Amino acid sequence: MSATAPPLRPRRPAPRDAAGSPLLLGHGRLPRVLAGTALVVLAVLWLLPFVWAIATSVQSEQDLSKPGLSPVKGAFTLEAYREILERGNVPVWAFNSFLIAALVTVITVAVSTLAAYGFSRGTFRGRRALLAVTVAAIMVPPQLLVVPLFRQMLLFDLVDTYAAVILPQVVAPMMVFILKRFFDGVPRELEEAARSDGASEFRVFRSVVLPLSRPIVAAVSIFVFIGAWNNFMWPFIVTNDPDLMTLPVGLATVKDAYGIQYAQAMASALLAALPLIVVFLVFQRRIVDSVATTGLGGS
Amino acid sequence: MTTTAPPGTGALPVPAAPPTATPGRLGRFRAGGSGLVFVLPFLLLFVLFLVWPVVQGLWMSFTDSSLALRDTAFVGFDNYAEALGDPDVWSSLGNTVFFTVISSVPLVLVALVMALLVHSGLAGQWAWRLAFFAPYLLPVTVVTLVFTWLYQPDLGFANQFLGALGTDPVGWLSDESVAMWSIAALTVWWTVGFNFLLYLSALQSLPSAFDEAAALDGAGAWRRLWSITLPQLRRTTVLVAMLQVLASLKVFDQIYILTKGGPNASTRPVLEYVYDVGFTGYRLGYASAVSYLFFALIIVVSLVQLRLFRRED
Amino acid sequence: MTARSPVPAPPPEPPRGLTRRRLLGTGLAGAGALLGAGTLAGCASPASASGASALSVWDLFQGGDGMLMDDMIEAVSRQGRGFDVDRTILDWGPSYYTKLAMSAAGGRASDVAVLHLSRLAGYAPGGLLDPFDLELLAEFGVTERDFTPAVWARTKHDGTVYAIPLDVHPFIVFYDKEAAGKAGLLDADGELAPMGSPEALLEAGRGLAEATGAAGILFGHVTDTAQSWRQFAAFYAQTGAAFTLPDGGPPRIDVDAAVEVVSFMRRLFDGRTNPDNLDYNGALAAFTSGRGGMAMLGEWELPTLRKSGIPLGAAPFPQVFDRPAVYTDSHSFVLPHQDDPDPARRREAHRYVAEMIKQSLTWASAGHIPAYQPVLATPEYAALTPQSSYAEAGKAAVLDPPNWFTGAASNFQNRMCQPLQSALLGNTTAEQAVRQMVREADALLKQPNPVA
Repeated sequence: MSATAPPLRPRRPAPRDAAGSPLLLGHGRLPRVLAGTALVVLAVLWLLPFVWAIATSVQSEQDLSKPGLSPVKGAFTLEAYREILERGNVPVWAFNSFLIAALVTVITVAVSTLAAYGFSRGTFRGRRALLAVTVAAIMVPPQLLVVPLFRQMLLFDLVDTYAAVILPQVVAPMMVFILKRFFDGVPRELEEAARSDGASEFRVFRSVVLPLSRPIVAAVSIFVFIGAWNNFMWPFIVTNDPDLMTLPVGLATVKDAYGIQYAQAMASALLAALPLIVVFLVFQRRIVDSVATTGLGGS
Repeated sequence: MTTTAPPGTGALPVPAAPPTATPGRLGRFRAGGSGLVFVLPFLLLFVLFLVWPVVQGLWMSFTDSSLALRDTAFVGFDNYAEALGDPDVWSSLGNTVFFTVISSVPLVLVALVMALLVHSGLAGQWAWRLAFFAPYLLPVTVVTLVFTWLYQPDLGFANQFLGALGTDPVGWLSDESVAMWSIAALTVWWTVGFNFLLYLSALQSLPSAFDEAAALDGAGAWRRLWSITLPQLRRTTVLVAMLQVLASLKVFDQIYILTKGGPNASTRPVLEYVYDVGFTGYRLGYASAVSYLFFALIIVVSLVQLRLFRRED
Repeated sequence: MTARSPVPAPPPEPPRGLTRRRLLGTGLAGAGALLGAGTLAGCASPASASGASALSVWDLFQGGDGMLMDDMIEAVSRQGRGFDVDRTILDWGPSYYTKLAMSAAGGRASDVAVLHLSRLAGYAPGGLLDPFDLELLAEFGVTERDFTPAVWARTKHDGTVYAIPLDVHPFIVFYDKEAAGKAGLLDADGELAPMGSPEALLEAGRGLAEATGAAGILFGHVTDTAQSWRQFAAFYAQTGAAFTLPDGGPPRIDVDAAVEVVSFMRRLFDGRTNPDNLDYNGALAAFTSGRGGMAMLGEWELPTLRKSGIPLGAAPFPQVFDRPAVYTDSHSFVLPHQDDPDPARRREAHRYVAEMIKQSLTWASAGHIPAYQPVLATPEYAALTPQSSYAEAGKAAVLDPPNWFTGAASNFQNRMCQPLQSALLGNTTAEQAVRQMVREADALLKQPNPVA
């Protein structure tokens, strides 16, 4: 669960994964049927909002104003999607979301990995104290800093810039801590060899330690990316110009002249949901691992 | 990043024997490079965008700092005194605690049930995981857009469903006694996948020896669940609950977007009150004081949890 | 990278093609360049880059008003020299006003924005708005003489003009012409005759109730955060008493006059002739379905009411006390504060405001009274019914008492409404309600003024 057993903790016991756990249910039929039913009911409940949203997005507003429980009330049309893409806000916000999430991820991972390695192997004075402060900072909820951060951005004259959205998001003490614990477990003999051959510290880090750290770096990257992509409160507070907004902020803030149109609302929601769903389908295993690693990494 | 380029000496030999460095210094930096330079970029950002706002926020809480463009004056403990006597602070705190209770309990229990069911080994592991975890990947606005539609008073699914059952429509987001429950339901749907994955990976790393032994002893599925699996998950449950309570206390996004804290401030959490007095009401200094009071509470909760958790060990 | 196995392969020779380090370096440099560009250029997105000359305008109009605003923008964009307008609509209410203030504090606000005149005191003194250049406006054909003194007086802070009013939108009465005719409330022209006394309005309610066979006067206030304040403010101003809010408190409120007004409101909405427990939509629905002879509403409900097909009449809010007074507000154009305004853009912003105001006949179709008097004087406006029936309302305009926390969609209005609602529902006496209102106002005044 935690990141303490590097470099590559065994993934889970393969046979159990493949065959599931027959033991848990025993060999009777009844528990199997009950569990299966419960699972299907839960899954239907969890998928229902998606189904309802998808169905809504491909119908016309007029058809949607008919009462009825069926999600399908009229003819199929992609009108809502066409209108959203034509109006142009959603593509701009999607671009902003990608740019911001990507930059936040690159900077956070680069800075945190270096720092974690420095904390793990460093000998500089004050290392323990700095590490303690970093760990203590995990307890500081970023949501409670929005007021002074906004004030700070006013001071730096950065309100309504990408920099203001990105910079406060790249400080991730939790990620530094997780990475540091990982590096602590990497056998040092490997580095010593390179070091005794006169490689610079950065080179040791880059060519010996980093290659061993791919799984954890991938986990942290995914986690940071999801967090940045979905972040709402800070980007919402520091951007007022609609051209700088991310998808979640723009969709929540900017309205159109006609009032709420549900087909379009659902279409834009689905467009905004799509990228991460696709990412999940591609990197399912990694994402599951990254949640497990980073979610409980602090334990 | 400022380290000097490596001497171009070509390939390094792979170590054949254990390295011969002094044990105490093994794996540490050489005397020349203490490693500080690796930490510096982080430290710079850390000081600028975490330490600075923490200190500045504390300072602001003792001033009448305003969003409007004017000078700031020191006001001592005025803001704190005002906050402690401000009924809106207490009611938003009450709303926050209420939300935390009604969201955390199902977020832990439903996640556990989901994980146990999925772990029981039915076919389609991939599909179940996708179904339960996918909502967690959605940006908050996507979730609120979809639920605004589901909760829509006339044509939304929820009231259409009640109509089909012959029941009166419910003001899901407009009725003071219902709105917070509607928001909690949305939150469970949205974020349970995270806890579910934590439970699932805990289950998958449990040693199966006990289970197997018990099965051989003829213990039934229920019996083994209650007396073996659940006790083994105790530590995970404490952790998941800890993380969940802290996350729920910090609720803002979905409530702000869905109800703006309404109707009649009945769903307004502390963080939205901070936003309301600080940005809508311009009083950044007062908002900082409210933030810091809440911050103190969160730290107390975290420390209590840590103690409990340590005891669990 | 070459090292894939746990045992490190020999590191590659340093400068061979693109190493990871160099990649990281260029990546960071690229990121830095992007950040820098964003910071330095001020406008940092592809969209704003492509439309560098577009005038950015903010408003809070959705639905009917939103579409009319679109029509007006299209009209000014096409005629004459035209404009390239980039319109942004935010949610009506506190969320709009919060964003407006934050963008102005940040110094990169939109070129023009809409502001309720009642909120000027929360924006102009705090440096969140930039003043208008009246000479420039005159060049585009708009001067002080084009507005009524009552409204123009509210556009200023410290003698400087910060807002140009687009409309006046009073709280008025709509009535069912048939029912009013039956009840004998119409004058020779078929318009609602003046009331003149509290008793006359009570009598009118009884007559209308009889005529409709249901309710007389409809008023939705339950859980509403503005309606009962609007009504109270209108009646209170009619008594001639002052309602002022000096910083630090206490509020200057004539308690006797206020109690008289609240007592009258309770008598008027007695729960028999005129229902006392309706919410906003309930009152609207009752009126449009003919279950009431008169409704006290904002004129902006005109398009909705018109669709219902009832024989619709409208009149300024009835005067029942000593002097005429109508509670109103006014949508106005403002220039949100910019740290470094471009003079050419500022000029365009002035021209835009002037041209939009001249389009206010379009705006009037939704019920709003144009603030720009030359439009009001046109035969086209006179031909608009029932709009022209209440055009006089602008002359007796009463807005919220000015202070940083008052105005449309403010916490102040909400806090005034709570005690009024309790009194109207019969849960508290008029005296208790007024005392509570004074306490609420005092509490707001005790807060340090963040814009002073």
